[in-house]
Amino acid sequence: MTTKRNWWLTAVGAVVLATACQTAAPSPSPSSQPGPTSTPAGPAAVPAVPTGHAELDQALGADQPFKGKKVTIQTQWILGEGANFDASVADFEAATGIEIVQESIASQHELVLRSRIEGHTPPDLAMLAQPSAVIEYGDRGLTTNVASLIDASQFSAGFGTSLVTGAGGEIWGIPFKVDVKSTIWYPIKAFAAKGYAVPTTWAELQTLAAKIVSDGNGSPWCVAIKDGQATGWIATDWLEDVMLRTAGVEKYNQWITHELPFDSPEVRAALAVIGEQWFTQGYVYGGYQSITATDRLAPMDPMFPTDGNWEGFTPGCWMHRQATWFGPDFFPGVRLNGQSGSEHPNVVGEDIGIMYFPSIDAAQGKPALGAGDTLMVLTPGDGSEVRPEVKAVAEFLSTPYGLQRWIERGSAISANQTTPEAWYAGAYKLAVAADIVGNSTSFGFDASDLMPPEANRAFWDGITAWIDAGGTPAATDTFVQSVDAAWPAQ
Amino acid sequence: MATTSRDTVEISPLRRFAPPLAAVLGLVIVAIGVGILADRNAASNLMASIYDALGNTQGAVALRNGAGDQLAAKLVLGVLALFVGVGGIWMLFVGVSAIVGLLSPRWQGRILPWVFIVPAMALLTVFLIYPTVGTIVTSLTVQTNGDPLAHYKALFSPQYLGLIQNNLTWLIVGTGGSVLIGLLIAGLVDRVKREALAKTFIFLPLAISFVGASVIWRFMYEWQPGGQPQIGLLNAVVTSVGAGPIRWVQDQPLNTYALILIFIWLQTGFAMVVLSAAIKGVSIEVIEAARLDGASERQIFTRVIVPIIKGSIITVATTIAIVVLKIFDIIYVMTGGRDGTNVIANRMFQEFYEFFNDGRAAALGTVLFIAVLPVMFVNVRNLRKQGIGS
Repeated sequence: MTTKRNWWLTAVGAVVLATACQTAAPSPSPSSQPGPTSTPAGPAAVPAVPTGHAELDQALGADQPFKGKKVTIQTQWILGEGANFDASVADFEAATGIEIVQESIASQHELVLRSRIEGHTPPDLAMLAQPSAVIEYGDRGLTTNVASLIDASQFSAGFGTSLVTGAGGEIWGIPFKVDVKSTIWYPIKAFAAKGYAVPTTWAELQTLAAKIVSDGNGSPWCVAIKDGQATGWIATDWLEDVMLRTAGVEKYNQWITHELPFDSPEVRAALAVIGEQWFTQGYVYGGYQSITATDRLAPMDPMFPTDGNWEGFTPGCWMHRQATWFGPDFFPGVRLNGQSGSEHPNVVGEDIGIMYFPSIDAAQGKPALGAGDTLMVLTPGDGSEVRPEVKAVAEFLSTPYGLQRWIERGSAISANQTTPEAWYAGAYKLAVAADIVGNSTSFGFDASDLMPPEANRAFWDGITAWIDAGGTPAATDTFVQSVDAAWPAQ
Repeated sequence: MATTSRDTVEISPLRRFAPPLAAVLGLVIVAIGVGILADRNAASNLMASIYDALGNTQGAVALRNGAGDQLAAKLVLGVLALFVGVGGIWMLFVGVSAIVGLLSPRWQGRILPWVFIVPAMALLTVFLIYPTVGTIVTSLTVQTNGDPLAHYKALFSPQYLGLIQNNLTWLIVGTGGSVLIGLLIAGLVDRVKREALAKTFIFLPLAISFVGASVIWRFMYEWQPGGQPQIGLLNAVVTSVGAGPIRWVQDQPLNTYALILIFIWLQTGFAMVVLSAAIKGVSIEVIEAARLDGASERQIFTRVIVPIIKGSIITVATTIAIVVLKIFDIIYVMTGGRDGTNVIANRMFQEFYEFFNDGRAAALGTVLFIAVLPVMFVNVRNLRKQGIGS
């Protein structure tokens, strides 16, 4: 398993280089809200022929052999993220005449995908965030070996075989997009107005949290994890981030393979760290009881002034720990009212900032948590060959161009290491992500996504019940023991 | 046309050959129809052929590529399915029965029942018996590591016993609540002037699906932090009398009962209608006699009416028990099985769709099937006793 989770690191490394090259003294420039109408100038985001991929070359040929063909892709991206993907493939569609239909299924994504695959009516392509599930589909022959479609070296430079691989050396998925998860969103202007400094250590963060409460300025944290059948994953991300900081990356990787059980001093210590922030009276907006009862996209709403005027505004909550996929599309103005409702645009980098989730134990350095989406080329339901136009789309998405527009919108990091560094320059979010990864001393891939599905489900459900019970010692026992019990026998 | 042929003494050649013709035609229609419908891209291909025939080559090509008038194609397919499913089958039945009608009366009596029962039996075998056997086989052979009973042994671990415990709570509280409240209302509305109106209100929820009801009850149970406006009805009531809002679906063990309440709300109407009809069937003489003997109204209800309608109560209880044992939708929509609310059916769904544990899912399905069997046995026996279905 250890070889399978490192491909995103190298990708993020490219961003580090990009920003390092661009600016000697990094002063990230703010990125405003790029609506779906804003088309970046410059040439079309498609690779020049020949690309080295047979079907892709064919598709980009002047005669457009696949014109009018339809390729379906099922994703978990909704709202702005879905629009970003559509923008990423728009130029390719125009150049080839292939119609790429994105089927966005939000929190039911994994279940819908499985029923479609089992029902022998799979989409042509699908994105999946859980490498463990990708491997399962691969071992069952439900997704195809993509080794012949991609240039594996573009994803693995320096890290050996760092793709989602099967027992026979097959490559079951194409790494597509990566996210840095060790990030906290906060209101820059409100911090400045109240004289709060961005905490760089856990002690500073604890002091700040206590100060916010004693100042009577609302709650330090915005936390919400309700996400339909996927409820729990945001809380497990928290625990993973803390585990990296308190137990260290070595123990963290043992934890993924269950060498280190949940019922261990390390996990209990990490839970105690989180419990202090979540269950202390007044620390979470709405109280800990609201964590599981509030939608995952809504926790940051109290952070914004409804009239767009930050002057004299005191946020209801001050810090929201969420990965880099989050952004202006999910801020309340846009999320609740659509693009037209954003008359008070909150600019990332000016109004809303991103800070590093501080390190806790100095001995464990400054770790970074990350995750990524993998593209599967699914085996057609009748067992026939994958159609050439599907291969062409998969090949296109494996190239940096497959994510170019999304990167230019300042919101994505490609898993492909040959992505031109200049593309990342100038985007606040990507600069912060690069900064975090650049300064980090160790990396961890999203642990729950790598655990067996039974354990992942027990982890999600267990931590949700733990929160609902207010993190009592009895609830802690129940939680850690239930995940250990759910772990499948080897 | 075919059915009237029997009445005529002199059979004209046309009438003589019409039934077999109809049968053959029906068979051909069904065969062609099934052939078309079995194709994965039936809708597009059928519409494309129509377009080709009409000379709209462009439209046909677009459809074959998975684009074009998909909605029109689906509508045409729907009409075809209706034509084949209703028209074709009808012609087949009428034709075959007419053919049998040409035989001697002795053979007619022997063959005719089979003509009508064989298609139903074939469908039951394909869609019910085959999957049942398949599920049991899967539970004994898939992912078992050599021990056929591995999945069943694993069910004795605490994480599965907890599910069974929840199912038992559902069985007892859900069934008991629906039947008792249904019985109570049936007894009470018997004395009400606008009985039909009162019954309609109780009966209405039965028309709502479990999923729909769960969505409705989400708004009933909605929780907001104390001090904020409560948009959930129950918490709005609770906070208006000064108490703090209650997290109905998060707090254990309250949440399981909150979910069962949704079920009772849905099923009480069914219990009430059946039991109300049974109460109406109790002869007035018996009640008059009890009254003359000095029984109070309450005694009449509990000691006279209830024993008389016992058969109906058992029927209602077993029918609801079968539904409640298989309960899935409410848990899936409301909590996803979190916070200690999970039940066997939802776990089965998770084992299959999330965990890729096909064998374990099949074992859970088999356990549910076996658990329902005795209840069904009681149900059927009781129906027989009442003279229904014997």
